[in-house]
Amino acid sequence: MSVLTVCPYCGTGCQIIVNDSDTGERVTGYSKSPVNSGKLCIKGYSGLSYNFSKQRLKYPQIKRNGEFVRVTWEEAFGEVSTKLLGIIKRYGPDAVAFQSSAKCTNEENYLMQKIARLVGTNNIDHCARSCHSPTALGLITTLGAGAATGSIRSLEDSKTYFVIGSNTTEQHPIIGTEIVKERKKGKNLVVADPRKTQLAELATLHLQFNPGTDVALLNSIMYSILEEQLQDENFIESRTQGYTDFKTEVEKYAPEVTEGITGIDPQDIREAARLIASERPTAILYAMGITQHIHGTENVMSVSNLALLTGNIGVRGSGIFPLRGQNNVQGSSDMGDLSEWYPGYVPVDSPRVKKFEELWQKTLPKTKGLALSEMFDAAADGRIKAIYVMGENPLVTETAISDVEKGIENLELFVVQDIFMTLTAGAADVVLPAATSLEKEGTFTNTERRIQKVNKVFDPPGEAKPDWWILNEIGKRVAGIRGYVSPRMIFEEIGNAIPSYSGASYDNIYPTGKQWPINSDEPDGTEILHTKSFPIGRGKFIPVSYGPPAESVDEKYDLIMTTGRNYFHYHSGTMSRRTDILNRESPGPYAEISPEDAKRLGVRNSQYITIESRHGSIKTQARITNRVPAGIIFVPFHFDESRVNRLVGKKLDPLSKIPEFKVVAVRVLT
Amino acid sequence: MYSIEFKTKNKGKAGQFYMLSVPGVGEAPISVASGSGRRLVFTIRSIGTVTARMKGSKSVGLRGPYGTYWPWKDNDEIVAVAGGIGVPPIRSLIEEMEDSKMTERLEVLYGARSPSDIVYKNQFKEWKKDLDIHITVDKGDSEWKGSVGFVPSLLKDSHFSKNAALFVIGPPLMMMNTVKEALKLGYKDDRIFLSLERRMECGIGVCGHCNVGQYYACESGPIFNYSTVKGEQELFL
Amino acid sequence: MKEVFAAISKDFETFGTIEKEGEVIFDKVNDFEHISEKRSRYAPKEFLIKRNENVLLLEEQTRRAVFGVKSCDLKGFYQMDKQILGKDPFYTERREKTLFVNFVCNEPCDGGFCTSFGGPILDQYDLQVLRDGKDYHIMVSDKFKEYFNDYREEGDSFFSRFSESFNSKMDVLPVDGLEGRMKWNSGLWKEFASRCISCGACNFSCPTCYCFDLYDDENERKREWDSCILSGFTSSSAGNVRKDLDERLRQRFYHKYVYFKKSKGEYLCTGCNRCVEDCPVGIDIKEVITHDYSIE
Repeated sequence: MSVLTVCPYCGTGCQIIVNDSDTGERVTGYSKSPVNSGKLCIKGYSGLSYNFSKQRLKYPQIKRNGEFVRVTWEEAFGEVSTKLLGIIKRYGPDAVAFQSSAKCTNEENYLMQKIARLVGTNNIDHCARSCHSPTALGLITTLGAGAATGSIRSLEDSKTYFVIGSNTTEQHPIIGTEIVKERKKGKNLVVADPRKTQLAELATLHLQFNPGTDVALLNSIMYSILEEQLQDENFIESRTQGYTDFKTEVEKYAPEVTEGITGIDPQDIREAARLIASERPTAILYAMGITQHIHGTENVMSVSNLALLTGNIGVRGSGIFPLRGQNNVQGSSDMGDLSEWYPGYVPVDSPRVKKFEELWQKTLPKTKGLALSEMFDAAADGRIKAIYVMGENPLVTETAISDVEKGIENLELFVVQDIFMTLTAGAADVVLPAATSLEKEGTFTNTERRIQKVNKVFDPPGEAKPDWWILNEIGKRVAGIRGYVSPRMIFEEIGNAIPSYSGASYDNIYPTGKQWPINSDEPDGTEILHTKSFPIGRGKFIPVSYGPPAESVDEKYDLIMTTGRNYFHYHSGTMSRRTDILNRESPGPYAEISPEDAKRLGVRNSQYITIESRHGSIKTQARITNRVPAGIIFVPFHFDESRVNRLVGKKLDPLSKIPEFKVVAVRVLT
Repeated sequence: MYSIEFKTKNKGKAGQFYMLSVPGVGEAPISVASGSGRRLVFTIRSIGTVTARMKGSKSVGLRGPYGTYWPWKDNDEIVAVAGGIGVPPIRSLIEEMEDSKMTERLEVLYGARSPSDIVYKNQFKEWKKDLDIHITVDKGDSEWKGSVGFVPSLLKDSHFSKNAALFVIGPPLMMMNTVKEALKLGYKDDRIFLSLERRMECGIGVCGHCNVGQYYACESGPIFNYSTVKGEQELFL
Repeated sequence: MKEVFAAISKDFETFGTIEKEGEVIFDKVNDFEHISEKRSRYAPKEFLIKRNENVLLLEEQTRRAVFGVKSCDLKGFYQMDKQILGKDPFYTERREKTLFVNFVCNEPCDGGFCTSFGGPILDQYDLQVLRDGKDYHIMVSDKFKEYFNDYREEGDSFFSRFSESFNSKMDVLPVDGLEGRMKWNSGLWKEFASRCISCGACNFSCPTCYCFDLYDDENERKREWDSCILSGFTSSSAGNVRKDLDERLRQRFYHKYVYFKKSKGEYLCTGCNRCVEDCPVGIDIKEVITHDYSIE
């Protein structure tokens, strides 16, 4: 038997056909897919072996006297529900926090936030906080919808691509290959990235700018557009608001002025401006390079300003493409697994929350909950007594890990639901074994808002269960939910809760998915957003002024470290590091360092070095490469034996509360 | 570097290798360091995950022997040229030739980076008693009284004829320079034998990792006649 | 054909090409009608080399019959036989117990270039089926003659006439002597590398690629399909013969068109075009064949 489902790795959401054991466990790209047209990257082809790993969690466990003991599901549910209810009774519902996961389905995310809110707290958050919370906030503010405005397929109609802060061929490979192919046909490609990525090598123009200076760079590009009068007056006039104030701000950013900040030659800025504004339609693609900053939300709004200024929105081939990290980070955000939003981005303090009170038959909390980046601090100072984690690994992925450790130690109950005994699961009081996405049913929403059906190929090992089933059992015991018999039943409720999902059903999203909004007006879904108007009427220009990143170099910490993923691994490596080929290709921690810096520091290739920041230090191996310029080192965050997040500071974007993973002042010791 | 010795006898011949494994960690191809029929010995450098975990492991898996071996029985004059940590297969050769009382046909040239890098220091002293052995180091120290220089430079002083067979093993650069020097001195290319190291996983010519041009090193090698592979571009890594 | 299928299914577990969500895949089939004649989405390599399996235990395999394999895909097995049959116990066990029924394409497919390697009528086969309207013409290997005792024997003129007409509809690429023409330092490899994202599609889709990786997973030793496009494929404690992507891409083409030809007398390619179809950046192996190396 073979099953059509969705790749579990990145937000591209490639559709895959997976054969079961009888037919050889083969993986093939679905050639009819509007997402990937049958193409896959190495993670799709070789990344699924973790499913069969002997290390999978197979039964529930409770830690007794420091040792995990196998228990029955009944015992586990009893332990979790009794303790949770006790904590709520003693300290109130806000003493409990939930962390859901962008790796889980829409149904599971919906269910988890519902449980949190039914027990009376908005302390529900997940890893979208650390990736695209600035996108949600930024684009909802400027355009009215926090998502990609076009489709992956529409990129074939672009004349110019502006890629900023995205290593697309490695992080969203199948989207990256669209650009590679179109570039080879002669289309324009402008890449703004401190690193020399594969796309940068192929680009018409590579703006290798200083990390954290995005606003200065974007403002100077917009300055040059105005200077040469390349803006789309018609679009500005008929579709936007706030232009005058915006213009006043941008006029301060002559390329000659910003050169000292960004390090980019004014001629290159002007060339970029011409390509983006005149060679239209232009698609703007960005990822963590834009968002993971203390100015993340402002960066996003700057990108939005650029699209509005050049009229690159609402037309096929144009648009803004925030490339979503996790396979379902769009969906998990849509589901309201963020502490400031109910499902469908209804602010927690909005009168519209009433709708959920009616739907769920309960008075609901209306104040903002804690963000992921705040929960462990709250645990450390005693405000949070219980944390329930589904499919996340904060002991690797959060900043200031020693504070996370302190927070966990201080908890009365720490529950982790996962597919492997991760570092975080190891610190839990109760570990619940979950099924992988190949072992269950549900939906994922990809980076282009496409709601796609996830289908079961294999049986989970041992007593492992789908996350929705586990949550359902917990929900029945702690939140009074009546219980769901299937993910389909949850999805039907999602249709009632979120207007842009209201027209979607398991039947009509299969096999090729549908892009939200899908509703009575758009029964087939919507490929291109904002074609005639914005959900907020007119698109908003927001004046954004440049502010420096939280950290800068000084005599002691003389290098800027930027963190991220590599091609072969995913986040904390829970899946990819238990997958043979991926692990072989990238077996251990390393830091990319330029030949110039290596020479200056006397570092040989593969030598063990210590990287120290103002917040901590790690040991890792040096990898000398031209991909990074002098003054910058790049360190991937996949490796729990050398957790780079020990080095990242706790300063947050005040608007979205995302930490600055991309700019950390460090030094290298040999 | 460390050696492990098995109770079982070496069923292989000098130059061949076994696949050694640490359960749950993985396998690695390791050349035999003892003579055929003697107890099986391997001398290993902890360099990869498997070799690092093998030392002190309670059980070590073993399969083999695999591959080709040094054709010492076909040759009356043999110069074995070894570099660095490539010397275990030459130890195996010496033991085999000792057991057959043929050591007068063998001359050993060995080069190490420094005196402290010399593998089998004590054994070399023993062997020296009835075997022609020359050791050189790239860089000496205060106590070093032997020769200093790269191992190919010892070749010109060999007391064998230019018809002698050369058995060459060591780091790629050392092997390349040895072959160059040998050809310059007039040795025949079809009497030069190289031991080539590649990523070998299956050992039986089916997994596809270890090709040297059209040959798989686990199957047609690791000992190759130089005249067979000299046209291959990826010969010396 | 129905009767033949019925007879075979008594002795074999039967698989065949079926359509699912518009894609032709291999699955268990119980009757001949459900078998699709369309070209399958992929070469069914996994029937002989599982994508991932424990190699510490070789269980006795069931006898399987696979209907609907295309000739180009089947030919891949005959090519890899030359290197791994008799050596790889898993492959060998399955190879001996699997009967392949190849459906000869009536018309050339887009992009395919099988005629450059002999065309869709194979010299080696188990049951080779060519449909002519309602009639089936079948070539049977000696091993499976028993299923055809009741049928009339015809000469092979039908097949040779078909072959001639099929071959005239497809361009034959200049493969002869390719092993001598290809250039180690050709600019092709670097140009391909500038696009390639190391996805491995060319290897995984290829009906002739047989390489696999071995790794330990607790008490099991597993093998998994491997790709020579990846750096770890050749990386060892001694170093890496192919550090750069262009070198690894070159290796793939040299293996297909130089090394295998030299060692086994045949190119390791069937002209199926699957690597081209699955490549996300449009690298075309036909360019390796048609490229003018003499001007470089």
